[in-house]
Amino acid sequence: MTGLMTRAAPHALTLCVIAFVMILAVLEPAFLSGSNLIGILRAVSLVGIMALGMTFVIMTGGIDLSVGPVSAIAGLVAYFALVAGHGLVAALLAGAGLGLLIGIANGLLVASLGLPAIIVTLGTLSIVRGSALLLGGPDLHGIRDQAAYSFIGSGAIYGIPVPVVIFLVLAAMAWLLQSRTPFGTLVAAVGDNERAAWLSGLNVTAIKAATYGLCGLLAAIAGMIQSSQVHTASATYGKFGTELDVIAAVVLGGTQLSGGAGSVARTLLGVLFLGLLNNGMNILNLSIDIQLIAKGAIIALALSLAARRTG
Amino acid sequence: MPSLSSRLTLPVFFLAVLAIFCLIAPNFASAGNFENLMAGYAFIGILAIGQSFPILLRGIDLSVGAILALVGMCIFDLSLMFGVPGWAILPLALLVGTLAGVVNGLMVTVLRLSPFIATLASLAAYRGLVYAISGRQLVPELSTKPITDRWITGFETYFDLTRVLGLKGVVKLPWVPLSFLILLGTLLVFHVLLAHTRFGRDLYAIGGNPEAARLAGIKVGRLTVAAYAISGLCAAIAAILLVARLTTSTEGLGEGIELTAIAAAVIGGFSLTGGTGRLLGSVIGTFLLGIVLIGLTQMGISPFVQQILTGLILLVAVGNDRLQTLRADRQRARALGEVPA
Repeated sequence: MTGLMTRAAPHALTLCVIAFVMILAVLEPAFLSGSNLIGILRAVSLVGIMALGMTFVIMTGGIDLSVGPVSAIAGLVAYFALVAGHGLVAALLAGAGLGLLIGIANGLLVASLGLPAIIVTLGTLSIVRGSALLLGGPDLHGIRDQAAYSFIGSGAIYGIPVPVVIFLVLAAMAWLLQSRTPFGTLVAAVGDNERAAWLSGLNVTAIKAATYGLCGLLAAIAGMIQSSQVHTASATYGKFGTELDVIAAVVLGGTQLSGGAGSVARTLLGVLFLGLLNNGMNILNLSIDIQLIAKGAIIALALSLAARRTG
Repeated sequence: MPSLSSRLTLPVFFLAVLAIFCLIAPNFASAGNFENLMAGYAFIGILAIGQSFPILLRGIDLSVGAILALVGMCIFDLSLMFGVPGWAILPLALLVGTLAGVVNGLMVTVLRLSPFIATLASLAAYRGLVYAISGRQLVPELSTKPITDRWITGFETYFDLTRVLGLKGVVKLPWVPLSFLILLGTLLVFHVLLAHTRFGRDLYAIGGNPEAARLAGIKVGRLTVAAYAISGLCAAIAAILLVARLTTSTEGLGEGIELTAIAAAVIGGFSLTGGTGRLLGSVIGTFLLGIVLIGLTQMGISPFVQQILTGLILLVAVGNDRLQTLRADRQRARALGEVPA
């Protein structure tokens, strides 16, 4: 029995996801309909995109709490660029570039000054949110008559919503980057033993700055998709709690907060798991309070099982 | 033990900031303003004291805002839905907060979750529980009814310091809110506990090196649970003060307050790597944040800029902490003759 448990343990999350799908399919046949499955992917696409970048950051042993405000300010900047008539490409570049810059700033503070990532990104969370509010005020800015921009969030290609397509493409790219390029190995090396990585001549600062930069960039992309989806930009989007969902998806996928081990593919499973959990609880018509309690309990349980496995 | 000069950095900086705002912010140096400062930040100071314990053990408690709301809602329900007298509610409220903290501690020790994840999960769960037991939703007509029990509203009392000291007509001192005195009492109790008992010494030992502490025979698991329980207890005290001030409670009470509490503790000198810090620092850190925010408000600076500045203060504080550590390391290395002086 223990042998079976040990062998099954690494696939616990996969088995969980499969079991989940089967239970929900029996309880509610509508669950397996194509439109519901697409709906799940659509619902997780924003958190999923941010989780891709967060995976790399957590693999270095860091964390990025500032993704929520970064997504808000990126949507806002893209909106202002559109309104100023700079065109779609410039707007997207402006939003993405800002996210990248904030991320790199986070990374440099963490890596070159050796400050704790939790506190640094808590500080930038506050700074970026304040800047976004200063820029756009607390109101909603309606995005009108921008067909091309709206397509990003609300369009569909062959019946698949564009956010899902973007999510899948970015996921494939992040997966390649993590598992098929030296970069993925370098990130894991830094997270596993930073001093050893530094002694063997790796540019730890640059690697860390790159991961935070990537995380900021992906948060910005998610933010622009969101603003396009709801046809409004606002400094208050990506509200407190967004980063917690993103981090939960990553650690559920088995990436350790202490750094080192981690994989984009498993993060995707974590994202899917959370998406199924939310969708299942919605389908079963559970009220929001029960949903919150169940989510907290399930995350704690899943992770403690994982801790037993490795501990 | 940190040197005297590094211990004095924070109080001196605090006094300098205070002096600057008294000089440049209109109406800052008024009795009414200090009343606001003391009443508005006392409960945050108590949260910061509680938060210091998990941080001392290299942990963190993200759930204090949710515990605050949970205790607040329990007080609301007990008082308005069930008509329980206030003297019976108070110990129950403290019990609920402490239990919530114990659950956090057990998740960290028994389930071996990282504190960040454990309290993240309990943050969601406790907040969900608040919605589930919310008397505002179970009995909608209660949502506009204030809590009038004297045992609870009595915490929102002010003492006329001028008259107590017999200085009437000489100088006008701010009225001191009871909540501020409770903050001082909480600080005193936990300071003695941390600085002058075996319990406190063991906590510092665990924070400095958990494995060494375990090998030295310290009950690491039990003390870790105690640290999270203290954080929960402090959240409960803060909840009582806040509910007394608002005469009601809401589901969203204390949302995001954990960040301020963590910031205050870190500014106060509790390093996230554990093993260092003094509780007085956390309280000074709280009021440093309070002075800056209230001072800027009175200078008519947009709250959005204040948010930016709060973030910057946090970065500067943690940068300074890092600098001190590096300097201490270098001194130690020099003393050991590892590097030429």
